[in-house]
Amino acid sequence: MINRKVKWVLWGVMLILLTFYPKLVGPYFTNVFVHFAIFALYAVSFNLLLGYTGLFSFGHAMYFGAGGFATALALIHINGCSLLVALFMGFFASVILAMVLCPIVSRVSGTAFAMLHLAFSMLIYTLALKLRKITNGEDGVSGFPIPALNIPGVVSFDMRDSTNFYYFVVVVIGISLWLLWSFTKTPFGQLMVSIRDNAKRVAYMGFKVPQTKAMIYAISAGFAGIAGAVLALFQDVIAPDFALGPGTSFQVILITMVGGMGSFFGPIWGSAIFTLLQEFTSRYIKEVELLMGVILIVVMLYFPKGFAGVLALIGSKVFGQLPRKTTAEDG
Amino acid sequence: MDPITAMYVSQGVHGLAYGMVLFLVASGLTLIFGMMGVLNMAHAAFFMLSAYFAYQITVSTGSFWLALLLGPIATGILGVLVERFLLRKIHSMGHVAELIVTTGVMFVILGAVKFIWGTEFLYVSPPPILNWSANIGGMVYPVYRLFVMVLTTIVLGLMALIIFKTRLGMVVRAAVSNAAMVNALGINVPILFMFVFGAGSFLAGVAGVTIAPVLSVFPGLADQMGMDAFIVVVVGGFGSLGGAFLVAMTIGLLSSFGVQFLSQLAPVLTFAFMAIVLAIKPMGFFGERE
Amino acid sequence: MIILETKGLYHDFKGLKVLFDVNLEVKEGERHAIIGPNGAGKTTLFNAITGTYMPSKGRVFFKGKDVTGSQPEQLVRQGIGRSFQITSTFSKLTAFQNIRIGILSKRGVRFNMFRYVDDMKDITQETDELLRRINLYDARDVPAGILSYGQQRSLEISMALATDPDLVMLDEPSAGMSKEETHYAVELIRKLTEGKTIVIIEHDMDVVFSLADRITVLHQGTILASGLPNEIRENQAVKDAYLGEMEE
Repeated sequence: MINRKVKWVLWGVMLILLTFYPKLVGPYFTNVFVHFAIFALYAVSFNLLLGYTGLFSFGHAMYFGAGGFATALALIHINGCSLLVALFMGFFASVILAMVLCPIVSRVSGTAFAMLHLAFSMLIYTLALKLRKITNGEDGVSGFPIPALNIPGVVSFDMRDSTNFYYFVVVVIGISLWLLWSFTKTPFGQLMVSIRDNAKRVAYMGFKVPQTKAMIYAISAGFAGIAGAVLALFQDVIAPDFALGPGTSFQVILITMVGGMGSFFGPIWGSAIFTLLQEFTSRYIKEVELLMGVILIVVMLYFPKGFAGVLALIGSKVFGQLPRKTTAEDG
Repeated sequence: MDPITAMYVSQGVHGLAYGMVLFLVASGLTLIFGMMGVLNMAHAAFFMLSAYFAYQITVSTGSFWLALLLGPIATGILGVLVERFLLRKIHSMGHVAELIVTTGVMFVILGAVKFIWGTEFLYVSPPPILNWSANIGGMVYPVYRLFVMVLTTIVLGLMALIIFKTRLGMVVRAAVSNAAMVNALGINVPILFMFVFGAGSFLAGVAGVTIAPVLSVFPGLADQMGMDAFIVVVVGGFGSLGGAFLVAMTIGLLSSFGVQFLSQLAPVLTFAFMAIVLAIKPMGFFGERE
Repeated sequence: MIILETKGLYHDFKGLKVLFDVNLEVKEGERHAIIGPNGAGKTTLFNAITGTYMPSKGRVFFKGKDVTGSQPEQLVRQGIGRSFQITSTFSKLTAFQNIRIGILSKRGVRFNMFRYVDDMKDITQETDELLRRINLYDARDVPAGILSYGQQRSLEISMALATDPDLVMLDEPSAGMSKEETHYAVELIRKLTEGKTIVIIEHDMDVVFSLADRITVLHQGTILASGLPNEIRENQAVKDAYLGEMEE
């Protein structure tokens, strides 16, 4: 889009900002950033299915929450569980859950896919509320130990310090996002957008569509799980209502739509906007649902490409007509 | 009739009454989905809104019958407006976009309702004529509930008549099979869509007003009815009204009895059931491959 | 050598019988046309062969192997390519991307998640080459849905060819084309399918007679006649079935 050199400079500046951010803004906004990063990863994983493959996971919170619960429970039940192992448990649990649904899910699309997810996520949410012995019901799991990040023999970082945790998050989520981004640039990424466009034809080009969908699905779930795991570590509590339930599923839809589902960075913008909005309005506006609904409608009607779309529009006007980026940027 | 049997029969009739109302709501949803391919996420919200209309009209004018007349009409008109101004532009963007917009409408209605009427339970009393209990075969039963069953039967009967016996109904049935063809035959599809969405919402409206005195009016109405209606549509199959009827009755009876014996497990069973059905037959129930 | 063969192929759709006892035989390297009036079952035959449907009865043999009811992707991997009567491209992706996916398939690059596809120079080269051969190189970055109808049909046909199949099945490639476009399409097909076997469903008799080595006539779901173009032209039963249609 823009000149290569300019791009490198921008990334460089961003890297510097990221490094010094906590010192610049203090602990409160450092935590706000962490919140933004978690939901950014969650939304990008969701968009892998929606924007890139055309599959509407209307219940993605089940993977987000499963990751969080798995991490929390691992820290409680496994003695001496290390930080990274706990994180991995989150990833692992979500992938396993995804595999359970895979056989069914890879054969459907469209409305059926969405409804299936609604049903399963509600099932899991309800189970989480009812199985008090495991999940502690509504109150969720809390007070689990947050181990330090240990590089044996070298150094140990206390993860309860918000600055340390911030850097941990930047690395983990940064790597995750980078992996997902690379993923979309591979031949597999081309398969995804082709399936979104014309799944039938993809089979006629010699590809096994159900297996491909299954892979994408597992990856999407896994990374949502990582996001959930980080949330659990961040808040030291994980409960169905803000990680597993329909509210959380709707949230990610909102974030993705507002940010723009037609591009990789769209959901990241969405998470930024959403996090900022929450910060500055949650004290003043009680009618969250009303606002959410209005935003969904307005965005869908007038800004279907979301914020990222608006940016692209402005960008093309400022920088002139450039060769179109083709992969997912066509909404 | 001894008390135990009386209790069972009474519960049974409760269940059937709820089942009929559920079927009414589900029919509206099925109509819209079958015709337009839109799964209206806001359908249950319309149902709930109509119940609030019932409350407001009854409180302001003292007449339940007025509410019964105006509520559904208001809901129907709202449906027409939603289709005309919100959905019409969205259809070309695919089913996902439709799901998102109708979800948005659902949130707006939910928010608006809480804003205007608050979150407490509101009570609507049945009209004086029906506000008594009859002694039938030794069992005392609220007449209003019987009225509910009668009314829903009449409305459904009328709907069936229109769909199967009139020209308009024929057009609707044709459009269910092939909307593009119907368009090519010169029938104004956008207007047809407005009509169908309005009609479906009208049905939800009738259900809402009717059930208001029974269930009382509160924001959670939409959740309960929404889930049940989806299950009916999913399991019953959008082509099969008979199947939908059976499922609606089953759910009605189950929740009536189930509430007593399985209250802890009920929601889990419900979702598990729906999830399993969708898993086994996603095509069969949602018709076209997308 | 017979590359494609159907034995006793039947297909019903919920009581409606569409194909009766179809015994098709296609020789390797030949250009075989399937003609017949609308509703004769030509596309259904294609669908039954290429895995869209599982035939109600009968067998399909490709390169001597029984492939009845195989999934489309398996047949493509074994060497069949198919184009559709109603253009079925990836309309939001560029012409380049449309062809590239076929090249990727041919090269066996499927679940590759480790290289950036845009960096795969050999893939890009091969895709551009094919684009040049079909004269769409200038439109390589144009989304397929925006191309002109004729260009889309060219793309449609070349997508079937991108996987370098041994047997190419084209369903009414000239559908909706003008005389010039048809002429152009025929030459394109001839050029691109050298050395391959093609089976082509067609209504345009000029196309049929200029391309086909052998013709099979399908009527009401069954084969009426099959043979050299001249034989078919003189065949009384065929003439009776479509009076005057041959003059088109």
